[in-house]
Amino acid sequence: MIAILTSAVMGFLILTVIYLLVSVYSRSVRREKLEKQFDGGDMPGDRDAFVEKGMQAYQHSLRRWLILLVYVIPITAVAVTVYLVNYN
Amino acid sequence: MWRYFKWGFWIVLILTVGGILHYTLPQRDIVRITGTYNRLTTVGENSFFYATPDAGTGESTVTRDIRFIEAVRPNGRVIVYRNEDTGWVWPPYFKYDSSNLQAEASNLKSTADAPVWVAVTHYGWRIAWMSIYPNAVRLRVVDGPDTSLFPWVNIVILTALAFLLFMVRRMWLQFRERMIDPALEDMSDALTRADARADAARASARTSWGRFRAWLGGLFRR
Repeated sequence: MIAILTSAVMGFLILTVIYLLVSVYSRSVRREKLEKQFDGGDMPGDRDAFVEKGMQAYQHSLRRWLILLVYVIPITAVAVTVYLVNYN
Repeated sequence: MWRYFKWGFWIVLILTVGGILHYTLPQRDIVRITGTYNRLTTVGENSFFYATPDAGTGESTVTRDIRFIEAVRPNGRVIVYRNEDTGWVWPPYFKYDSSNLQAEASNLKSTADAPVWVAVTHYGWRIAWMSIYPNAVRLRVVDGPDTSLFPWVNIVILTALAFLLFMVRRMWLQFRERMIDPALEDMSDALTRADARADAARASARTSWGRFRAWLGGLFRR
């Protein structure tokens, strides 16, 4: 019993680390895209303000919720494996 | 010479990772089961290739009853599998129904005259001189010894691994481009400015003592 709980906690911690890394990466890519968008065309206004507004919009976007799949997919894979291996 | 080191390193890395994957990923054999038994076994130096006691029991990890399944391949050669619960961590099969599997195997025993061909999903290697056995995970009756089996699970797992590797590389490149490269540029700009100041100081010094002092000053200027 204890072994299952230990592995579940460890697995959750590892998934949390992966979730944080993917979040940081996704924000970094979005920020770079906004900066390139500003530099590319003739956009009015201040560069920093444009980037910050874009990042605020990102905060409420679908992509942020999709990163939660980092939790969903491995747990589903484990459940499917348990079913296939044990309950033929 | 360093090229050889680099090649050697990559070859060793690929062999190691390939070996681990070959051991851990599931394979299927088509065999005819001839017997099942269990035997009190004390694992010694080969304990790395054995799994843990049955889930939930308090058996000793060193000396315990291990279930075996004997089988014969279509070409006449024999193979012996062990049938143990895997731990909850590695290899990630989450297998805890070994007793049920042993019952299924006993049910599917057959003779050469009336063979029942079974596809055994297993992982691990049979290396006789280390007394290690592959661990049988699933059994399924198939029509005949020539049934073709498509390794779709392995394909899914390897694709997922390749995707993970690609994502890790992307994340590292992004980190380098956004965080490390600008910092290095700032550092190299600062060094260039310091060098220029030292050169200017040296050029304006008139005696050799003055030039020496300017050079020394350039070393410690920020």
